[in-house]
Amino acid sequence: MLVRVEMELEDVPGQLVKALDPISRFGGNIQNVVHERDKKTPLGRVPVTVVFDVDERARFDKIMSALREMGVRVTRVGEMGAGLKSTVLMVGHIIHTDIRDTIDRLNSLEGVRVLDLSLAMGAVGEESTARMVIVTEDEDRARAALSLLTEIASQKKLLLIKSLEETR
Amino acid sequence: MRLILIGFGNLGRGLARALIEKGNFIREKYSLAPSVVAVADEHGAAIDVRGLSLEKLLEVSEKKGSVAYYPSFGSEGKSSLEVIEEVDADVVFELTPTNIVSGEPGLSHIKKAITSGKHVVTSNKGPLVVAFRELDNMAKKRGVQFRYSASVGGSVPVIGLAQRLLAGNTIYSIRGVLNGTTNYILTRMEKEAAPFDVVLREAQEMGIAEKDPTLDVDGIDTACKTVILANAILGVDKKLSDVSPVGIRQIRPEAIRLAREAGYTIKLIGVAKRDSLEVGPRLVPIGHPLAVWGTLNAVTFEMDLAREITITGFGAGPRETSSALLSDLIDIHRSVGE
Repeated sequence: MLVRVEMELEDVPGQLVKALDPISRFGGNIQNVVHERDKKTPLGRVPVTVVFDVDERARFDKIMSALREMGVRVTRVGEMGAGLKSTVLMVGHIIHTDIRDTIDRLNSLEGVRVLDLSLAMGAVGEESTARMVIVTEDEDRARAALSLLTEIASQKKLLLIKSLEETR
Repeated sequence: MRLILIGFGNLGRGLARALIEKGNFIREKYSLAPSVVAVADEHGAAIDVRGLSLEKLLEVSEKKGSVAYYPSFGSEGKSSLEVIEEVDADVVFELTPTNIVSGEPGLSHIKKAITSGKHVVTSNKGPLVVAFRELDNMAKKRGVQFRYSASVGGSVPVIGLAQRLLAGNTIYSIRGVLNGTTNYILTRMEKEAAPFDVVLREAQEMGIAEKDPTLDVDGIDTACKTVILANAILGVDKKLSDVSPVGIRQIRPEAIRLAREAGYTIKLIGVAKRDSLEVGPRLVPIGHPLAVWGTLNAVTFEMDLAREITITGFGAGPRETSSALLSDLIDIHRSVGE
């Protein structure tokens, strides 16, 4: 699970390193640290937000109790919407069949967002290829997005290449 | 065991060579002494109940174009169906070319063999995609063995693995790279960044792709194998008309590059589940067991107890296929205890 922990640290040297230590020690994989020295709290503490990935609840609990034992003030803890990524390719007349419409229709589904689009243009008049990464909140939404995309691809006569994971 | 070979093309001759090469091995290891009592091809047949010489069969068919010219025991114009019906034998090998529309002539050969009480081993996909359940039921009713390992995966024991060695599992899905030709083409396109047409021509020159590559590149061969796996392993009753295969003609080098950049390769995949059959190009994560290169085949079973198992090997070729044909023969010998 991907978690986001907001905490407040004393503004003395070495505090940040100390606070990050238990996260990696108990198996968390730190993805992002925001250290906001210019947004000190009224008590003179520095807000820090750490995002890390940890594979078991038990490890997460260990990290949190270690932080508290060290006297770190944790102000907010939250699990980030993990988000399922589906990668697909489309081959065909991608631009002429209105790629924007394709993206808009996918984005109009709740909990579905087109995150990334890469395009390789064919020679003039030839087919192009697009790679699309779609992020969805859960598996049901991923299925809905792919079934809509299958429908769009068939309307627009595009070859849709789904990933093997989607064939389970 | 007395054998009849119907069809003496690449596969039939490959089997004959394997029987010569492995004759002593299977006699010593399995106490099985196969004797070929009849061989039929499109021009006629050679029949000798005391056993034909495999070397002579190969020589006659290669030099004169048919086993019908086998000295003393050859007979021109003798039909396969007559041979199957009249010659006393234990096992019929049906090795004629595949016809995916009618299943013929293989379908009639297999039916005739079953009704005349002979076990059947085949590599022919035609009858299996047209009438699998019917043939399987006929064989059960008549109490003869019906084996078709060589029809999927060539040398790779896909069907035997699932039917026998994984017998305690409920298999949910079967996914595979089932066609060596298209896998070779996709591999070359990826390594050389070359367009489909160019690589197809190269594959045809090397004898990996046929002059008319339709069955391979349009996914029809993969669809046939997917249907056979679904019928044989998932116990459904599917036909080729239940699949709408998508082939690889539309795959461009740029598509492969974009896939690669995201950590994938493109493979032509057949997917069999109880409620659906799919054949088409798919993104396969690099490092996934199905991401096999060149002419390799690979099949992954997803099941309840063993979770996932993948088996990989060389699909095509007469020598590789003879491995599956011989295994079926030995297996029949064990099952019936002859």
